Amino acid sequence: MVYYITTLLVYGGVDAIACLGLSQQFGIAGVTNFGFIIFQAAGAYTAGVLSLPSDSANGGFQHYIGGLSLPFPLPWIGAALVGGLLAVPFTAIVGKRLRGDFAAVGLLATAVMFNLLVTNYVPLLNGAAGLSLVPSPLQSTFNPYSSGYQWGYSAAAVILAFVTYLFVRRITNSPYGRTLRAMRDNDVVADSLGKNLRELRTSSLVTGGAIAGLSGGILVGFINLWDPQAWGYAETIVLFAAVIIGGLGNHRGAVLGAVLVPLAFEEATRYIPAIPNEPGLVPALQWVAIGLLIVIFLWFRPQGILPERRRVILGDRAAGGETAAAMLAAAGTDANGERSTGRGGDAAPVAISGEDPREPMPIVGRRVPLAADEVVLDCEGLSKSFDGVRAVDAVSMSFLRGKLTGIIGPNGAGKSTVLALLAGTLEPTAGRVHLRGADITALPAYRRARLGLVRTFQLASEFKRLTVMENLMAAVRDQRGETFRGAFLGRRYWGAQEHEASNRAAAMLERFGLSGLGDRYAGDLSGGQRRLVEIMRALMAEPEVLLLDEPMAGVHPLLAHEIGMQLVALCDAGITVVMVEHELSIMDEFCDPVIVMAEGCVLAEGDMAALRSNAKVVDAYLVG
Amino acid sequence: MLATSLFVESIGFGLITASVLAIAAVGFTLQFAVTNVLNLAYGAVMIVAAYVGYVVNQAGVSVWIGAFASIASGALLSLLLNSFVYRPFQRRGAPAVSLVIVSLGMLLILEFGTQAWAGPTNVSYSMNQGATLTLGSIVLTVAQIAIIAISVVVMALVHVLIRYTRLGKAMRATAANRNLARNCGIQTDRVVTITWLVSGGLCGLAGAVFAMNSGTFGATSTDLFLVLILAAVFLGGPGEPYGAMLGALVIGVATEVSASIVVADYKDVIAFIILLAMLMIRPNGLLGARV
Repeated sequence: MVYYITTLLVYGGVDAIACLGLSQQFGIAGVTNFGFIIFQAAGAYTAGVLSLPSDSANGGFQHYIGGLSLPFPLPWIGAALVGGLLAVPFTAIVGKRLRGDFAAVGLLATAVMFNLLVTNYVPLLNGAAGLSLVPSPLQSTFNPYSSGYQWGYSAAAVILAFVTYLFVRRITNSPYGRTLRAMRDNDVVADSLGKNLRELRTSSLVTGGAIAGLSGGILVGFINLWDPQAWGYAETIVLFAAVIIGGLGNHRGAVLGAVLVPLAFEEATRYIPAIPNEPGLVPALQWVAIGLLIVIFLWFRPQGILPERRRVILGDRAAGGETAAAMLAAAGTDANGERSTGRGGDAAPVAISGEDPREPMPIVGRRVPLAADEVVLDCEGLSKSFDGVRAVDAVSMSFLRGKLTGIIGPNGAGKSTVLALLAGTLEPTAGRVHLRGADITALPAYRRARLGLVRTFQLASEFKRLTVMENLMAAVRDQRGETFRGAFLGRRYWGAQEHEASNRAAAMLERFGLSGLGDRYAGDLSGGQRRLVEIMRALMAEPEVLLLDEPMAGVHPLLAHEIGMQLVALCDAGITVVMVEHELSIMDEFCDPVIVMAEGCVLAEGDMAALRSNAKVVDAYLVG
Repeated sequence: MLATSLFVESIGFGLITASVLAIAAVGFTLQFAVTNVLNLAYGAVMIVAAYVGYVVNQAGVSVWIGAFASIASGALLSLLLNSFVYRPFQRRGAPAVSLVIVSLGMLLILEFGTQAWAGPTNVSYSMNQGATLTLGSIVLTVAQIAIIAISVVVMALVHVLIRYTRLGKAMRATAANRNLARNCGIQTDRVVTITWLVSGGLCGLAGAVFAMNSGTFGATSTDLFLVLILAAVFLGGPGEPYGAMLGALVIGVATEVSASIVVADYKDVIAFIILLAMLMIRPNGLLGARV
């Protein structure tokens, strides 16, 4: 009985640790690692060969590399290290531009293939038979079969699970964690705000890998054997089931999931007697049940039992800012989980703030003295082809500091593509882009954003499961707490800067009249409000050049006017704004100069009055 | 000379593997192109269809007739998967990664449901492999030649379907841009449904020939084969039927030749390496755009 309980406790601890690793990797960072189990396996094998004597011992009945007889706790430390290191080469798969589902497939194939290799290549880790007689930690000092040792081991497993929980909570509740969640919700947008996706994904893979490795090390010290059947690719699916059922993005949910799925389903039922004449029936049905649980939960309760909690940022903001109605609405959507809100053309409640929008904005940090006719951003001969179609054909443009330049043109003129090429979201087929005279053509989007070239998107692109405040704060540059190390150092290290950022974000919200919505999920806002959030978010990144792709599409005319006034104020403060728009009245009112595009080329440039009398432009716009 | 004859012999094996693989990979890639589901339960559907063929075969019917039962069951099962699982999730706007996870869930349900029903021991078709034919150092049985012939005929039929029929044109249009196709008056929902039937039928046939070719099979036998399918599909570019045919030929021959050079245990590793390399360097296939 003692043995049964302690076994369950150890398995529970090990499963909880593994699920926390997956929760951090998948639930927070959105990295779909279908090969997660190989990291646990790597940890178990490492701890095994580090603690085992050389393979000639025990009559040499098993073969393996290593065999270093290292004392505890070195095998466990080695397990975590190898788990983390193994993750590094996988960054090439989850790198920036690969679709998430393709990367997942690659990792799944890797898991299948590693298992095949280890099974067949005996000299490495004793092949299909696996390692056995792996020493228990400190077995020369204590008797591993005594109940005291058993209880001690369970306590160690549970305590380490708790420590792991504290660790992942610490790095999740930091600017780093917020950036990971932003990447999870929309990686292209995170990239355009200066976040280095490859670095973020590497750190997530390594963190998850190290945690999984540790779990393997703890497990192998207890059960004393480890073979390829213990880590079939399907075991990963069990852990995914646990994290999905517990609640994606909620570490407590991951622990709950670990108790409910791997522990209750696999280990606790291990002693169900086999049905006579049907030896494999119970395990087979267990797998069927795991599959059913995944599908049923993803359908009926995709947010899991314990949904990701809404992170309210406590700043200097007045508590009365949030109306009871807004709170109620937010609570209501919490219960429904993530609801996909269609992008509507509805108007946001336009709260006209008392201050004059033309007043220079103190919330935008970067203020550059105005030099007359200084070209900030320009491109020459920029081209982009899609499957042979020239969407943009040898376009040259230049943008002056402090000007609000408009780009208009009929559908398919290549306006959005030009914007994407300028921002680095797309790579040009030919041509160069310069920022303040420096060639930035080769720079990826996140590097350009860090240089002050920030864009917004035509389609709704808010980070859905971040609150409005978090959306804004995620865009802040050079956050101390945004690296893994910074997050680990804790609030003392990044708290002051965070406080400052939250004040800036709150001031921004007030300026755009959205103060009451700071703690709402961005995904739950109306179409117009989301446009505003995107513009505010871009401003939080302190752009020197702001590229806006139809910022006023689907926005109430009153609000559109308000946005226009804010943009003019930004230009007065020395920021260069480039805006793609369809609405000619907006161009009339705010933009000078205006560039007209048609069929991938620049047709004309000038102020609206001149363009209106240009026959070519009228033809393209009215006929084309 | 021995090494050379072994090499040539392995090409013969490679052609058989490629034939089985081509049927499976073309079905998979067609399914992905038109329906946009990366259906990892594809191998599980293959094995269910193979078992249906087995049941028919056990009733005393020839495996070649049983293959039709496999085709029908693969088509039906795929259709059900789409109507009751994938399409509802897609309609709700579930992200691609969620669908992949759902397909993994379906993989467990189908494979282990089959295992719960059929038991954990492998089964084999009772079939006559037929006379042995020798062509140089390539030795093939009549049954193996039949598999190759079936594959060639199926590839030709797929070619005719996608190039010369209205349905094929509608499928290509739907694959390229579903909304645009719908706006042009193509009944995309119907096209998608038919694609599940056609690709499911190919999947079922692949299951039957896989079972014939591998001698014995069990509920989880296609786990490794799925890696080969994925390698063939990604080599040719996901969603490209002709690419999948070429990919299947390359992967099939490469695995068997590597088996003759290295050790048979590791023959599938080459497919895995190709898959990873493609994912890292050219996820849109050899002919696709470089990323």
